[in-house]
Amino acid sequence: MLKKEQSDLLTQTGPGTPMGEMFRAYWMPALLSEELPEPDCPPVRIKLLSERLLAFRDSEGKLGLIDEFCAHRGVSLWFGRNEECGLRCPYHGWKFDVTGQCVEVPSEPVESGYAKKIKLKSYPLIEKGGVLWTYMGPPEKQPPEPEYEFCSVPLNQTFTTKRIQESNWLQAMEGGIDSSHVSWLHRGDLSSDPLFKGSVSNQYNMKDLAPVFEVVDSEGGLLIGARRNAEDDQYYWRITPWVMPCYTGVPPRGDHPMHGHFWVPIDDHNCWAWSYDYHPTRPLTDGEVTAMKNGKGIHVKYVPGTYIPLANKTNDYLINREAQKAGRTFSGVEGIGMQDASLQESMGPIVDRTKENLVGCDNGIIMARHRLMKAAKALVEKGITPPGVDPAHHKVRQAALLLKRDVPFKDGAKEALKAKKGVRQTSV
Amino acid sequence: MLSESTRMSSAQEAAYRIQYPNSKKRAVKVIALDKMSARIVDEVSRMEWNGATFFTSLSFAAKSKPGDTSEGMQAWLEDLAGKTQDLVTEVENADFVVVITAAGEDARAVSVIADACALHNKTLVGLVVPQSQTSDEQVTHSLNHLRPFTRMLVVASGIDYVEAMLHALRA
Repeated sequence: MLKKEQSDLLTQTGPGTPMGEMFRAYWMPALLSEELPEPDCPPVRIKLLSERLLAFRDSEGKLGLIDEFCAHRGVSLWFGRNEECGLRCPYHGWKFDVTGQCVEVPSEPVESGYAKKIKLKSYPLIEKGGVLWTYMGPPEKQPPEPEYEFCSVPLNQTFTTKRIQESNWLQAMEGGIDSSHVSWLHRGDLSSDPLFKGSVSNQYNMKDLAPVFEVVDSEGGLLIGARRNAEDDQYYWRITPWVMPCYTGVPPRGDHPMHGHFWVPIDDHNCWAWSYDYHPTRPLTDGEVTAMKNGKGIHVKYVPGTYIPLANKTNDYLINREAQKAGRTFSGVEGIGMQDASLQESMGPIVDRTKENLVGCDNGIIMARHRLMKAAKALVEKGITPPGVDPAHHKVRQAALLLKRDVPFKDGAKEALKAKKGVRQTSV
Repeated sequence: MLSESTRMSSAQEAAYRIQYPNSKKRAVKVIALDKMSARIVDEVSRMEWNGATFFTSLSFAAKSKPGDTSEGMQAWLEDLAGKTQDLVTEVENADFVVVITAAGEDARAVSVIADACALHNKTLVGLVVPQSQTSDEQVTHSLNHLRPFTRMLVVASGIDYVEAMLHALRA
C-alpha cells in the first residue's frame, strides 16, 4: 500500500517532477537502430517522459533527437524533409540540424543571422547494441555511456525489441521484479516456449510454487533472490537484478539466451516495454532469432508496421479460454510478454496503490519503491546522483544456480552476478 | 465480448472502479530479536500505525526448545509497556509476524518464534538491519540465522525501510 502522494511521486515522470528529474539523470533506450536505418531516412516521432520529440539521422549518419515542433509556427517536423544534413519544415522551409540548431530561415537574409538565434530543444542520441539511447538531463551532468552487457556484446549475440504498453511504467517494472508470478502466469510456457523449454530449472520452478525470497541492496539497485528446494541439501536460486530506475534481468534457464527489460515512460499512462535477449559468449542461433522475431520468449507479435502488440486491449489480447481451460496457458493469453502486459494494463493506466494488499513476498517491490522515492528526493533536494547512473552499476548479471542451504546468495553468487566479457552465464 | 458493458481499462474507465475498503485491519506483530534491534523496534513503534504491536524482547522456558511445536511450548514477549505477553497467543492472533535483528547480533531466538508460527501456520518475515559499522560477514551471519525460518528475508537499508515496509503491509 502506498499513500496517494507517494504513488504520484513514483508514477509522474514529466518535466519538473521529482521522478521525472531522476529519469533524466540516466541514459535511456529511446529507439531501435532499425527505426533510423540509414542517412536521410524518414524521421520518427517519439514521446519520452511526457515530451514530444523527433528523431532523425542526417545525411552524414549523425543522430538527432529534437523538439517535434517547428520554432516558426509550431507544425510537426515529422512532415519535414530530411535532406542535406538537416530537417526542413515543409511549411516555410525552416531547416534544423541534429542539435536542433536552426540553420536556415529562407524568408530572412542569411547575413541577418536570424537563423542562429533559433534553436530547438535537443538531446544527445547515441547508438549502442542496436539501440539508440538518449540522455534528457542537464548537459553538464551527462553520465558516461551505458554499459549494460546486452548492449556491449557483439551485435550477433544480442537481439532487442520494444512494444508499447498502455500502463504507467511503474506497474510494468514491478512485474519484472516480482518473480513469484512466473510459476503461475507463465507456467504453460516454461515447458513449451522454445526460448525457455528444456532447462532443468523449469522442474524446480514447477515443483515449488511458493518460493522464499531474499532481497539485498546492490550498488545500483537491488538483487532479488527467489529460492526453491533442490536436492542434496541445496537451494535452487533465481536471482533478479534490478538497476535503478527501470532495468531488470530475468534469471537464465540452461544455455538459452538471457533476457530482461527496460520500462521507459512515454507519459504517465504509457510506457515502452523494451525486451532484450543476449548470450555473453556465443552468437544467437538462427532458430533463436527466428523465435524472437515470431514473438516467442519475452517478445511479441506486432500489428504489422507498428510496435503495437498484435494481441492488445482492443481485441482482449486474443484470449483463448479453451487453452486456459486445458492448461496450455494459465491466463488464456498467448506468449510470456503479453501475459504480463495484459494483466498490467488491466490494472488501469495507473493502478490505485492505496487499495492494494501487499504480502511478505512483495518485499522486492516495497524495497524498490522505497529506494526510488529516497533517491528522487536526494536528487531533487541535495543534488545527489542516484544509483544506476554510474556505468559500473550496469555490469550486473542475472543468475540461476544451486547453493548449499547455509550459503547466502549474496556470497555464493557473488561472481555469478558480475557481467564479465567472454564468461558464460551461471545457469542450470 | 459484445454482451459486456465495459472494456479493458482506460483512464476514463478507471473512474468507475468501485470505491470501498477491500480489506480489514490486520494484526502484525513486530518482534526484536536482540538488544540492538529492540532500539529499532522502540523507535519505529513511536510512529503512527494501524494496529501493529511491537515487542522488544523474547524469553522462553528451557523446555521450549527449537522445534517444539507442541501446544505446551512456553515463551514470552515483552511489549513496549514492559508487560509480558504469551508468544503463542500473540502469534495465534497475528496475520503475520515480522522479526528484526541488527546485523551481527545473536538472532537465534528466531527459531522459537518460527515454531510458534509453524504451530499456527503464520508467515514469518525477517529483516536484517545493518548498523553503521556492520561488516559483510556479520550480515551473512544474521542471514544464516534467519534463512531457515522466514518466508521473506530482507537486508533492510535502515530504519526508514522498516517503516516503509510496515506501512506497505498496512501494519
